[in-house]
Amino acid sequence: MAAHTHNDGHAHGHADHHGHGELQMGHHHVSSTAMFTNVLMVLLVLTIVTVAVSRFDFGGANMLIAMGIASVKASFVILFFMHLKWDTAINKITFLCSFVFLSLLFIFTLADQATRRLDHDIHVVKTKVDKQWVHPSTLSGK
Amino acid sequence: MSHDGHHSVVIPAPGPEFVPHTVAHHFDTPVQEFQSLKLGFWLFLATEILLFGGLFAAYFYYHDLYPETFREGGRLLSWKLGALNTSVLLASSWTMAMGVRSAQTSQKKKTLIFCGLTVLGAAAFMVVKFFEYKSKHDHGLVIFTELFSGYDEAAKQLPWFKDYDGAMANVPHGHMFFAIYLTMTAIHGIHVLIGAGLILWIMKGTAKGRFHAGYYLPVDLVGLYWHLVDLIWIFLFPLLYLVP
Repeated sequence: MAAHTHNDGHAHGHADHHGHGELQMGHHHVSSTAMFTNVLMVLLVLTIVTVAVSRFDFGGANMLIAMGIASVKASFVILFFMHLKWDTAINKITFLCSFVFLSLLFIFTLADQATRRLDHDIHVVKTKVDKQWVHPSTLSGK
Repeated sequence: MSHDGHHSVVIPAPGPEFVPHTVAHHFDTPVQEFQSLKLGFWLFLATEILLFGGLFAAYFYYHDLYPETFREGGRLLSWKLGALNTSVLLASSWTMAMGVRSAQTSQKKKTLIFCGLTVLGAAAFMVVKFFEYKSKHDHGLVIFTELFSGYDEAAKQLPWFKDYDGAMANVPHGHMFFAIYLTMTAIHGIHVLIGAGLILWIMKGTAKGRFHAGYYLPVDLVGLYWHLVDLIWIFLFPLLYLVP
């Protein structure tokens, strides 16, 4: 496989690369410089957007917006810089599964927190009673 | 002939400045070698996601408990330095991607230049990080010389968090933000240093002509590692410097 550059950097299967002889590694995608540069520009612009939106108070939505933009940036890095878009199905499944399990960790951690109502007022009480957890319903006035 | 009677598969060098690659004897073909090692590396990257994921879960948990503490703590970090380091890492991800591309196309000199630029990016990142840490140390928010001292029972305080300016005096548990800030950025920083070391190792192999269009797997894998370092920082920057 000689230098085999795809200027569009996008749609093409692996089929056109087979038959270059088996004395190669079998990974055939070479992205164009322009594609990498475009991805970098998108990431830098989204960094500016991240800073800009943090100046506005959207209440609880600020976290969702910040994480949403970060997720878009992360997708660009994973798909294009890390080439996952052109990788094999097994590699895609392997890596993306980590995010599935990560979401389980987040869901159960935050569900636990949401159902305990351990805000810091209660936390102070918790400390006073010698670090025994107190059910919120047993606290007066809360 | 290898010991088990099979011929060793050799990927020829594309030119006199390169050396051939001999496929490890336990693989039948170059494709099998490439795909096996690449799958293994993606699996390793998945464990890295879970390592940092635990830290992000801790962040979200305590951010939810003490939102004012996190916002106040975030204000004490320089978002300008954070944004600068974000840009440095993004640019270094670009140079790394270009380095991998140069190896894929047997351009030895370009591979060395792009990998060298990536190492410079890593160095710049760590220099900025050093000055940030020094500022936190000087203000008693993370006193590095006291990190391994136990809880001070007499003074009822953590030896590494003294908050000389009282910047966190009006919010509860001010040390929680800085404990999470330090843990996440330090583990990320260790990854930056390891990544820079791996890229230097790649440059050594490149100089010897080991990597070319027929065999560039190590360059590819180190590139993936470097992009992961960037990926983690993409989330750390807004969460720590711009606390939502």
